[in-house]
Parts: sequence; structure tokens; C-alpha cells
Amino acid sequence: MSTAKVPAALGQGKSRRRTSRAARFGLPLAVAALLAFTLFPVYWMVSTALDPKALTRGSDLLPSGLTFDHFDFVFDRGNFGTYLLNSAIVGVSTILAAALLSLFAAIAVARFKFKFRTSVLIMVLVVQMVPLEALVIPLFIQMRDYEMLNSLLGLSIVYIALSLPFAIWTLRGFVAAVPKEVEEAAYIDGASWFRMFWSVLLPLVGPGLVATSIFAFITAWNEFVFAYTFMKGSDKYTAAVGIFQFFGENSTAWGPVMASSTLVTLPVMIFFVIVHRRLGSGLAAGAVKG
Amino acid sequence: MKDTLVSGEPKATIPSARGSRPADGAAEAARRRKKLITLTRPWLLLAPSLVVLAGLLLWPLIQVGKLSLEDYKVKFGGGESTFTGLDHYQDLLSSDLLWKTVLPNTVFFAFACVGLTVALGTAVALLLNRLGPTWKLICSVSILAAWAMPAVTGTYVWIWLFQPQDGMVSQLADSLGLIDAETTNWFTERLPFYVIATINVVHHGFPFVAITVLAGLLTIPKELYEAGEIDGANAWQRFWKITVPTIKPVFLVVTILSTIWDFKVFTQVFLMPGGSGDNPDVYNLGVYSYIEAFAKNDYGAGAAAAVLLTLLLLVITIVYIRTLFRQGEEDL
Repeated sequence: MSTAKVPAALGQGKSRRRTSRAARFGLPLAVAALLAFTLFPVYWMVSTALDPKALTRGSDLLPSGLTFDHFDFVFDRGNFGTYLLNSAIVGVSTILAAALLSLFAAIAVARFKFKFRTSVLIMVLVVQMVPLEALVIPLFIQMRDYEMLNSLLGLSIVYIALSLPFAIWTLRGFVAAVPKEVEEAAYIDGASWFRMFWSVLLPLVGPGLVATSIFAFITAWNEFVFAYTFMKGSDKYTAAVGIFQFFGENSTAWGPVMASSTLVTLPVMIFFVIVHRRLGSGLAAGAVKG
Repeated sequence: MKDTLVSGEPKATIPSARGSRPADGAAEAARRRKKLITLTRPWLLLAPSLVVLAGLLLWPLIQVGKLSLEDYKVKFGGGESTFTGLDHYQDLLSSDLLWKTVLPNTVFFAFACVGLTVALGTAVALLLNRLGPTWKLICSVSILAAWAMPAVTGTYVWIWLFQPQDGMVSQLADSLGLIDAETTNWFTERLPFYVIATINVVHHGFPFVAITVLAGLLTIPKELYEAGEIDGANAWQRFWKITVPTIKPVFLVVTILSTIWDFKVFTQVFLMPGGSGDNPDVYNLGVYSYIEAFAKNDYGAGAAAAVLLTLLLLVITIVYIRTLFRQGEEDL
């Protein structure tokens, strides 16, 4: 592949031939294995959701037919529309607050030099490592004392905190990437800091803000532990928790479970494919330089 | 990056450049005001985030520490707590369940997941690096699909695949004569339970490693490989002698991050049959803590286990931060 410029040395031709033989059989095989491993669970979920005889499907690769019965059941009997709405409300509240707060914080750490700046960044990073299981006990007690259990607002507040560290780290990269000359030009034109922020910085950081918001939404949408612990009234379930009700003591209705799982999964996948390119910088929190 | 803007600069120079008209005293006062703004603005910008993080992440962490030293009784309109000192820790650290089940489950599961995630992720990154643009795109999208699968729904799909009797894998293994689908339940025993959990976690976790390592691979100069080939190194040798040393920091970071994530796996274990408390054999530290607190209403004991898990993660996090810093302080 990269050997084109190198003159063919004695032993090299042989090694290249070996590589190409491995490539002819190995590569397609590896690609097929990768596609099967990554996509099969998704396929199995969707095809079970559409299979009229989901439970007795066994190991048949193709569903026995196509029907939307399980989806109808999930909405009519399972109240899943309410859960999706709850999840959307919590997700949108999380986005709005997290985007605003993290943008301010990101500007502070990317654009200003101040004492304890590095300490703040490290604290944000460390706080991200805290296990949710350690937070859920005291927060449950706290929320109970404030009578915020079973409240979408209480849940949103927790999710804002959970999505902030990652959002700050990601946006910090986007803010730092805006050349400071652009800002200086605004100042020379007589703009105040807030004017510069509104008309110069915000539009340039916009794409990063969208990506960060979507990620905050996904965090809230997917979260299970807090939603499961806090939301005890069945009308306040989020979608991720709502699937649980289709599990029976001895038998599980796999058709509805897979139908509701599909409803929860698909929006996340679409969002993910849209934003993944923009998230590279923040995902590893500085794992790859440049 | 050294180009971080010191915000005082433009604002200190620009007004003095154009503002020669006000009297000296006024200019002095204005400059002092500017300086104050420069000092306070970053903190004003940070304040809302810091308040949220302190109130919802740091404060609960202090509370869970305090709770682990108490017996907490649920009362209507607030709880009642009695100080018990280190009793919960003594109970926890002297329990057979912790040493024989919970800790081994947590540690072996985490190491298996990390090892497989990093190995598979690296292999996929190397594969992606060799593909043409079309197949690279197809494979990238399929990886993203695995990555985007929420932990909750992903777990349900894996349970459904391995479900006793009706599950696809059970039926397949039965028709191949490997097991009897009527009598085999993979979820009741520790080893098969965690094998399934491992597949689930690796499926969800390797895309991050693959994409991060691929980004690292792209930074390695081609000349290094050409030189290696001239010296007669085969692909295996080139990987270990060129790729690994050159992007060692990337491997370190993905390994440590995966370790942190895999130690605190909760949802994927909790949602599996028996994982939510029926089967103590399959507890890991997070699930154990949750069940002590919420199923047995022993918040103090749950808090003690949670503190233990947090301390474990703290040690790994410190290693992580030091690795990041060794990569270059200018990154921060």
C-alpha cells in the first residue's frame, strides 16, 4: 500500500505478495465479521419487533412476517407515548441548561488565563469518574427531602450535572479553535465583550454547541439508574425505564420489549451518526493530540 | 497550545490607544475597573457550572462518605441517622460475599472487558486503516451503530439472544446438539452470566477504542513503516516495534478510560436476569451497593460499598491524570 515509492528490494517482493494474499481473503472476512458483530444485535432487535410470532421465532434468521402489532401494543397498552414524551422533556431541559452553562465555562477555561484554571479543569475531569452508584444514594435522600422524587425537573437537574463535565471539555476545544484575531478585530471595531460574544464567538462555536447538545440529550435519554430510582409513579417513567414493565415474572413479552427498545434506540443512532465527526476532540478528553 | 488569549491584553491596550482624551485620574480608575473585570469575568462565567457540579456531584460525594458512617432510617419527611463509626466498613471488609463474590466479579469482569475492548478496538482500527473509502465508511457507520446502542436496550437484546428455551443462541446451540435448550439457563451461573455481560460491554465499548486508535494511527509517518519494511520486519513486528511505541499515549488513555468505565458497569449487570438482587452470585460492587441501599434499605452499608468503589476508581483516575499530564501540559 505504502510501498509504491520504494524500489523492489530482494526480500520485499515476497513479503508484499504475502500481504496481498492475506488481504484478498483476510480483509473481506474481517469486514464481514465486523459487520455481523456490530449490526446483528440491531437487526435482531428490529426484526423481532416486526415479527408477529416474536416469542417462538427461535433461531430463524428472517422474521415470520411483518407487522406493527407490537408497536401498537406498546403505545396503546404500554403507555409508551407518555414515556417517550417524558424522556424528550427531560432531554430538552438538559440540553438547554447544559449548553448554556458549559458554553460559559468553556469560554472561561479556553479564553482566560486565571489562577486555578488548571485545577478547575482537573476537577471537572475527576468529577466525571465518580460512579453513579455512589451518587444515587445521597441524591435519592436529598431529593426525597426536597420532595423532588417523581419529578421530571428533579431528574433533569441531575442530568445537567452529569452531562456538564463532558460538555465543558468538548466545547473548550471548539472555543480554543476560534482564532483570537477574529475576536480582536471585533474589539477594534468597538464591540464590547458581550457584543463580541453574541455576534462573533457564538456563531463560530455553533456547530460545536449543536454536537455537545445532542450528546447531552443522549446522556439524558439513555440514563437508567437515576430514572429507575427516582421515578416511582408509572406516569413519570422515562422511556429507558418504561421498557422494564414488559418483563414478566416468568415470561417476557419479547415482541413489545424489542419494539420499545427500537423506539428508544433509533433516535439515538440517527443523532450519533450526525454528530460523531464533531465529537472527536472531546471524546477522549484530550486522548489524541491535535 | 500556547495561543490561549489573555483577555486583559486587547482590552488593556485598545482603550489606552484610542482614549487619550480623559483626564489621568479617570483613566486610572477605568484601567482599574478593566483589571477587576478581567479578574472576575472567568469566575463569573464558571460560577453556574461550578455551582451545579459542586451541588450535585461533590456535595453528594461528601454525603455518601458521611452516610457510610451512620445508620440511616427512613422517616416520613426526612430521615434519622445515628453515628456508627466504621461499623459498616468492618462488616463490609469482613464479609465473605465481598471477598469471594463481589470483588472477584468486579475485578475479573473489568479486566476481561478492558483487555477484549482494547484488543478488538485496536484490531478494528488497523482494519479500518487498510480499507478503501467506501468500505471504510460502511464499517465506520456500523461501528457507530454499536456505539450508539443505549446500554439499556443493548442489554435487552443480548438477554433476548441468550434467553433460555426461546433465545436465538439457545435454539442454535440446541439444534447443534451443544446444549439442551429446555434445561440450560445461562443466567443462573456466574461464569456464563459474566461472559454474556462481557460480550455486551465489549460490543458497546470497542467503537470508542477503534476510533481513537484510528485517529492515532493517522498521525504515524508512513516513512517509519517503509523503513521497517526495508529492514525486513513483518506486519506483526511492525505493529509491535513501530505502531505501539509511537502511539503509546493513545493506548494508555483508552486503556485507563476503559478501566474506569468497566469498573463501574451497573445497568448491564442489573438488568440481566437475577442481576437485580435475586442472585447474589453475580453481584458486582456497584450492584451490591445499590441493593444494600435500595432493596434492603440499609443506606449506610450501601454507602460504604459505594465509597469503596469510588476509592478504587479514584486510584485509577489519578493514574489517568498523570498520564495526560505526561503527554504534555500544554494540552490543558
